[in-house]
Amino acid sequence: MKPSLSIIFFTVSSGAGLGLLALLSLADLCPVELLPKSALAAGVVLGLSLVVAGLAVSVLHLAKPSNAWRALSRFRTSWLSREAVFAAALVPMASIYGWVVLADSAQALRAVLAVAVCLLAWTVMICTAMIYASLKPIRQWHTRWTPLNYLLLGHWSGALFLLLLASAYSGDASAFAWLALGIGIAALFIKLGYWRAIADDSTAPTIERAIGVREGARPPGMTVARARLFDAGHSHHTFLTDEFGFSLARRHALALRVAAVALGFVLPGAWIISGTTDWRLGLCAALLCMMGLLAERWLFFAEARHTVRLYHGDAKA
Amino acid sequence: MKLGLVIDLDTCVGCHACATACKEWNASSPVSGPLSDYEPYGAEPSGVWFNRVRHYEVGEYPASKTINFPMSCMHCADADCVTVCPTGASYKRADGIVLVDQDKCMGCNLCAWACPYGARELDDSSGTMKKCTLCVDRINDLRLPAEERQPACVLACPTHARFFGDFDDPASEVSRLTAERGGYGLMPELGLAPVNRYLPPRTLAARIEADDAKALLERGLASLASPVIRR
Repeated sequence: MKPSLSIIFFTVSSGAGLGLLALLSLADLCPVELLPKSALAAGVVLGLSLVVAGLAVSVLHLAKPSNAWRALSRFRTSWLSREAVFAAALVPMASIYGWVVLADSAQALRAVLAVAVCLLAWTVMICTAMIYASLKPIRQWHTRWTPLNYLLLGHWSGALFLLLLASAYSGDASAFAWLALGIGIAALFIKLGYWRAIADDSTAPTIERAIGVREGARPPGMTVARARLFDAGHSHHTFLTDEFGFSLARRHALALRVAAVALGFVLPGAWIISGTTDWRLGLCAALLCMMGLLAERWLFFAEARHTVRLYHGDAKA
Repeated sequence: MKLGLVIDLDTCVGCHACATACKEWNASSPVSGPLSDYEPYGAEPSGVWFNRVRHYEVGEYPASKTINFPMSCMHCADADCVTVCPTGASYKRADGIVLVDQDKCMGCNLCAWACPYGARELDDSSGTMKKCTLCVDRINDLRLPAEERQPACVLACPTHARFFGDFDDPASEVSRLTAERGGYGLMPELGLAPVNRYLPPRTLAARIEADDAKALLERGLASLASPVIRR
């Protein structure tokens, strides 16, 4: 799949914002005060900014943005529509929550809003992931690893921002450090598991399956194992080759995976383990993680192989 | 109703007449048109097509065969392109035809991603998704003579390799051909229940052994040479 930069930025930025909002509201629901209200309010603003920035950039992906409002209309069937509806609900909900936190009034309302923000943030993350996981023609996306990846990577980057806030606003951030470290390790294992899972192409669809050699597209009376593209029928690029024809050299994929793991996990993890509470270093760690996740998300697209490629001559998808 | 196409891989010669007839009809259609071309006279012409013909070699030489393979929308019974559409622009009619409402589409490409067959193409000029309409503005046009109420690709095919009809009607030509010739749908394992059917090649290909090939070549050369010699 062609790596679409607007969607890559959107999923990484919104993922971090949603992870931050979910963890933040959970922290607020704890009976002991883990974060001062100024840190909570700053976190809501930061989380919302990340989410809204992502949503705004995602509109750039649309070829006809003037119809974007219609995306709210197919809630019952489309994961993209659900994502839009829940995101549209989350933004005002989180804004009110932030305001209630700052106003320091109506503790019961604050708890209700915290629960609502947390559930909405999780729902939006799941909807985003299911957009990809529900696409049957793309083996690398149509797997249970996809939602796990989106959920954990969002929480991991969100946890880093939360740790940053905790170290900036309160003296003791060790609880958040442990939380972030735990989520980070789980996220890394899920990412490695995903890469391992997509490397197994034993069930990948083949060009012979695509044109139906077994069903009959073969010399009659013969059992044939192989088919190949003779001519694609077009002289130059088409929408299909532009959208689905993207190929990534194996050594580039490996280099990007190393970069994604180093920037996305190892360096931020090293910052947590070092125990330094300097918030400027924390900001660096969070931003490095985002860069690593951008590489990871770019790979998520670049390594996904749509079945249309089979009709254009690929032996396997 | 379950309208769709039958494509005979036995008689298709891969001439692309169906694809060009499709482009000609639909480019000026109020339902789907225009079908934009990019740099039509430039170095790398490209553009929107609803029907593309590809060519495959199946088997190993000499026991191999060229299969000409036209592909357009399969008008799936369980069309994921309709399910994933967030705007409601993609829809399936009661007669089975899958269409895109050009006024509602926001050009997010998700339906094209959901289609395993590459049947949908984004038109950069309008910013909307375009696809085969099964010539919905021909097949229902009562002003046309009955025999012309068929998709442009079917009418254009010089070898009569394309058939249009209702698969829900067991007496229709498409149902009969599918049953008689073992017509099959593409990648049914994905679960989209594609409606279009492909009829396998039916002529028995001679298994050409090395000696036979030599004899054939000599005979071929002789037949070429004889008119020259006679003259």
